[in-house]
Amino acid sequence: MKMPTLLGDCAHAATAAEARFRIDYPNSKTRASRVIALDNEAARMMPHLAADDWAGAHFLTYARTDSAPGIEALKMDATLEASDGTRSKLSRELDHADVVVMIASGGEAAEAAGVIGTACSVRAIMTAGLIVSADRTDPAVESAVRALRPHAAVLVVASDADYVPAMLRALRA
Amino acid sequence: MLRKEVNDLLTRTGHGTAMGEMFRQYWVPALLAEELPEDDCPPVRVKLFSERLLAFRDSRGRHGLIDEFCAHRGVSLWFGRNEEGGLRCPYHGWKYDVTGQCVEVPSEPEESGFCRKIKLKGYPLIKIGDVLWTHMGDPANRPPHPEWEFATVAPEQTFTSKRWQESNWLQAMEGGIDSSHVTWLHSGSLKTDPLFRGARGNRYNQGDLKPHFEVVEADGGLFIGARRNAEDGKYYWRITPWVMPSFTMVPPRGDHPVHGHFWVPIDDENCWAWSFDYHPVRPLTREERKAMQDGFGVHCKYTPGTYRPRANKDNDYLMDRAAQRRGETYSGVEGIAIQDASLQESMGPIVDRTKENLVSTDNGIIMARHRLRKAAEALRDTGETPPGVDPAHQKVRSAAVVLPPDQAFVEACKEDLKVRPGVKQSSV
Repeated sequence: MKMPTLLGDCAHAATAAEARFRIDYPNSKTRASRVIALDNEAARMMPHLAADDWAGAHFLTYARTDSAPGIEALKMDATLEASDGTRSKLSRELDHADVVVMIASGGEAAEAAGVIGTACSVRAIMTAGLIVSADRTDPAVESAVRALRPHAAVLVVASDADYVPAMLRALRA
Repeated sequence: MLRKEVNDLLTRTGHGTAMGEMFRQYWVPALLAEELPEDDCPPVRVKLFSERLLAFRDSRGRHGLIDEFCAHRGVSLWFGRNEEGGLRCPYHGWKYDVTGQCVEVPSEPEESGFCRKIKLKGYPLIKIGDVLWTHMGDPANRPPHPEWEFATVAPEQTFTSKRWQESNWLQAMEGGIDSSHVTWLHSGSLKTDPLFRGARGNRYNQGDLKPHFEVVEADGGLFIGARRNAEDGKYYWRITPWVMPSFTMVPPRGDHPVHGHFWVPIDDENCWAWSFDYHPVRPLTREERKAMQDGFGVHCKYTPGTYRPRANKDNDYLMDRAAQRRGETYSGVEGIAIQDASLQESMGPIVDRTKENLVSTDNGIIMARHRLRKAAEALRDTGETPPGVDPAHQKVRSAAVVLPPDQAFVEACKEDLKVRPGVKQSSV
């Protein structure tokens, strides 16, 4: 049987006046975002980004893989480096991470994307890939897209480096 | 999440606001041509970008869009008599032409030329396709006429409608570039709507509920690709173009007509959702046109005599929980257009984006906001013409294709995403 609705409930609820009564409280907890530069150009953005004020983001650069070829996915690991030179293990950074944003700038990103993407996949961590290049027709961009596609649920090609902080702010990083 | 000042910048479009000035750089849909069907027909009230205007068609078939109110005592010229080449205020007989120029002030000596000193604000109104377009910016920077494919194909190949949406333009437009909601909100309609059902691509939609997304900048805006698994390791791509500031196209399904939207601010708390359907190479069939007129696909049923949807917030969108339980609709609201409108209006007149929690798959929306903000600021600060004004940016199409896994859609579909006269849309 169709349940009656009070006609006009939506009209009342959707007014600007009613918007005043929306409950004002923090409706989300701090996210653990890991922002990882995959190549040298992307790495150069990290100190500037890291200097900003963020909710819970770590800004890191992929340094090297620590896995032998053919190793099982769960044991894959890598060394990451922060802007102050501190080194950490990818596996430690992924503990409790909510999202990993991989940033490339048209350099060689395939190995890093593969290791990080696989490590995230086995831990069911969301991944996003961001390729920043002023020239989207540059073949290196296409190569970076190809490298990141299997490992990123979302892939963005941006011409403007300002997009990186804009995106991270939008995601409450 | 968006800071309040950026939300304000993007959502306010009145005169003198950054986004309002940006919208005024473009030719935008103002009315359906059917609203002014013949010479000397009744004038029509129009509000755009928070400006109260009046559209009329004079005795010689010229269209005009002028300030709604008589310069004499502020009477609404909607009460005016449209006759003998102009619109005459019924209060004291002042008369205006389609440019807003006063051409008669009966109380003053004709020889005095007093009427030449009176001019209402006026904007051009031109008919292209089924739409009357206006440009509300500086005449010195008037761009070339719009060249959108839906408006320039033969009349028998295209159909356009509009509906009043009671929300800010941006939250409505963001729905148009948010491909991931289709899997949920519109899932019932993919099976039943005569303008959607039957396409092979629908199976891919229904078979892969976690699409991957790729967002690529284009000269005029963005291409947003949604990728789902197809057979043999290939990917089914649905590619949505967004052209700044507010044009979107829905990727096609089979040989169904292609549809899309314009989202045009009425004021900061209302907008027009323009919806079009066209086929690039053939006339719409009688059945297709009837389905559009009956409110299927991206169109809607109306409250008679208006462009307000029949299902609207005053009647709770005719919510049908029983149909929802039967699986006919996902949200309980019937029709794709009203499914969108009901949820977007429920956000409130201007959604408070400081409270939202976007996720990575919202990157199309994040990028669109970023580009809008940059373009509005560049126009304000340096006078830079925003993307989308150039008619070359308007010659885009949506596409739905199956590609091998190693191909980037933006390269593989370079031709599919362009208007190619005489060539069918790329669709699965």
